[in-house]
Amino acid sequence: MRSVIESFSAVAGDSVGYARRWKEETGRPVIGSFPMNFPVELVHAAGALPVIIQEVDEPITDGEAAVFSFYCGYNRSVVDQALKGRFKFFDGIMFADHCVQLLGTADVLRWHDPGSRILFNQLVASMDATWAVDEARNSLGQLKRELEDLLGTIITDAALHESIALFNHNRQLIRRLYTLREEGRLTLSARDLQHVVKSSMVMDREDHTRLLAELVAACEAAPAPDLRGMPVYLSGHLCQAPQLTLLDLVESTGAVVVGDDLYHGFRYISTDVPETGDPLDALAFWYFERNRKVPCPTRADGDADWDDFLVREVTRTGAEGLIVLVAKFCEPHMYYFPEIVEACERAGIALLKLETEHDGMPLEAFKTRIETFVEVSRRRKHAAALG
Amino acid sequence: MPEHTSMSAKVRELPPRRANRLSSTRLGSAIVNDYWADLFSAKEQGKKVVWYNGTYIPPFFHAHDVAWVHGEAWSAYLAARHVEGDAQMAGESRGYDRELCSYARTHIGQALLDMKDLKDGKLDPQSPKAIAISQLPLPDMIINAYPYCSSGQQWDEMIYRLFDKRVPIFHVNIPLLWGGRKDAAYLAGSEMDERKTYVAHQLREMAKFLSENTGRPYEWDRLSEVMGYIKKSAELRLEAMDMCTATPSPASFFDWIVTIAHVNFMPGTQRLVDFFEAMKAEIAARVVAGEGAVPDEKYRFFFDGMMNWNKIGWLAEKFAANNACVVAGRYTHMSFWQEPQAIDLADPVPGMAHNYLACPNNSGAPYMIGEIDRLCDKFKIDGMVMHVSRTCRGMTNSQHLIAESARKHGRTALFFEGDVADESFYKDELLNTRLEAMIESLDSRRSVMA
Repeated sequence: MRSVIESFSAVAGDSVGYARRWKEETGRPVIGSFPMNFPVELVHAAGALPVIIQEVDEPITDGEAAVFSFYCGYNRSVVDQALKGRFKFFDGIMFADHCVQLLGTADVLRWHDPGSRILFNQLVASMDATWAVDEARNSLGQLKRELEDLLGTIITDAALHESIALFNHNRQLIRRLYTLREEGRLTLSARDLQHVVKSSMVMDREDHTRLLAELVAACEAAPAPDLRGMPVYLSGHLCQAPQLTLLDLVESTGAVVVGDDLYHGFRYISTDVPETGDPLDALAFWYFERNRKVPCPTRADGDADWDDFLVREVTRTGAEGLIVLVAKFCEPHMYYFPEIVEACERAGIALLKLETEHDGMPLEAFKTRIETFVEVSRRRKHAAALG
Repeated sequence: MPEHTSMSAKVRELPPRRANRLSSTRLGSAIVNDYWADLFSAKEQGKKVVWYNGTYIPPFFHAHDVAWVHGEAWSAYLAARHVEGDAQMAGESRGYDRELCSYARTHIGQALLDMKDLKDGKLDPQSPKAIAISQLPLPDMIINAYPYCSSGQQWDEMIYRLFDKRVPIFHVNIPLLWGGRKDAAYLAGSEMDERKTYVAHQLREMAKFLSENTGRPYEWDRLSEVMGYIKKSAELRLEAMDMCTATPSPASFFDWIVTIAHVNFMPGTQRLVDFFEAMKAEIAARVVAGEGAVPDEKYRFFFDGMMNWNKIGWLAEKFAANNACVVAGRYTHMSFWQEPQAIDLADPVPGMAHNYLACPNNSGAPYMIGEIDRLCDKFKIDGMVMHVSRTCRGMTNSQHLIAESARKHGRTALFFEGDVADESFYKDELLNTRLEAMIESLDSRRSVMA
């Protein structure tokens, strides 16, 4: 079990290095993409390696001259990596998400490397518009055509169906780990689970799925861990993975993570793509369905509310508190946060907000705040039990 | 005393040399005042009210006889009158972070204040007059139509939720013209063609939405009529702007900034045409007389970034006092009805979609910056004044690239921090120092060339 986690950890910790080696070894192309909705199955079906570009812990240096300090850590880190030449081996970068900061980042990348192929087609963000499904289908079709042109290949329906099935299987296996966690039977930490999900955004999916199957089997066979502490639900961090030390901190201060909606967590693997019918229709369906399953503040949908979802999930997973990780300068999250606070107040759910930054995270202060959160919740529970 | 200090003192201690503002803009003030007065009594007039954000879609509302509130404009209105503080505090009290768009924080905060008044019984919710007492009429419909800025969509989603989803909302998606296809060009190519068709379709659906929520059929002929005035006004405005290639420039960025409301959301009427006619005539007369917007124009600047609404007069005087005329800007010279020739009055919707897509931010950086460079050449710009509007990332996104390109074209550039509607981000001392350095650099360059 640990050797699989170590393999995943190595890939998650150096995604660019892994992808470069993969390209050297296979001689096949690598396509980078930005979070959160680009359908990477298209890239796989074209015979290339899809890699979701990650924030790295490295301090931002070169990037300081190209992006302002009041942008989120993900964007600043991506610009910094690009200016250091880390993405030059990509055969292209494709994305579909409409985030104003991300659009700026993409332009900085294109500007500083005019020879690069960076392709964008904007997915409709008003999910309940009557034309939204058709428009999403059109955008996906355009992405497919541009990818075919970029790689000089044709993506057949059969290949796309095969990729969809593989990625579904991969997601299903990870979701099995989430189920074990909810049942209190998972021996993996929050750090380990992030390695699993993050590496699935990067690694050759056949290899990842094979290792993942071994891991799931081992986890199912393992005795249930002795988990003691306050069950909490982790929410937030839309594009970037929370720093591993922060996850460790949560679990070392009397809390046990029982569920999450992190992008480097359940949000990423929540939804499968239908395996029959027209594959582009299926990908369009997936795009809407995943927002219904795990609502995202970057999408506008009158019927999908992140706050309601969180109240339901906290209740369903038996969490006694919600820890919200807000990446500093993440605008959609900042807009939605008051809604979440009020929903939790109405539902009597204890909430702790931790605002994270790329540089200089106040971990000691966070430790004290998490400990206090756990302690106050424990006392309240005790007082409630006494009547 | 080092030269740096003496120069710094020079920038600060120059006797006030008032900017020579156009007198015709006063006519425009009356149009704006009448618009707000009319809006504040919209409920009493029995009009439905739409709150909208984003691009300049009011002709659709005007043609359908509904009142319109532009959220950004309302926030700018409060900021320009220095009364935005209470609204922003109300937003902050609910948990909206200071790093969020200050337009949004002001707009949402004002809605919170209005709703609190209603809840506290300060207003009788049944009385139209009472509803209007806090001036801004509450919405019957919400429409979001932002090019480029994702934050704008999220802002309106929060407004929708503030009203418990009881006010119907409609979104118009105006996708970015990324320009990655082989046939891409500025506002041309297959991407532009497809996006134009898509946006036009949504605008027609928006008219249906207005019709459904007012119970009246949409009058397309009326839209053509309104657009006739808008198109004429836009043409006059662009012709007047072109005259500012003269030296000295007869009008400045600050004259244009106080007419943003007119080109952005004022009703399309003959009165609007008359206003731009008068403005053009005054500018033409100044060209003949050799009269400049800055009496002793020595430097010509381009203002990049969103306006700092609570500092208009302050900044106008600061630059004028240094013999610097800010001649043009991205916000004033590239953002509103820039392509009137695209509008066919027999069927104005595709041309309107074309103009909405032409928002400068909505074209990928290489295309947008190409246009900025072209404008700077045309207006003989010496230097760029980059207003880093802290909470408006749609405007700050490409500013490093714009400055880099400007330098390649032989222009200098300064950055100063501020914001659209949150005064606390503005640092006057930083602008003083950087303006001083830029002027010094220009003088030095000129002396070398001489």
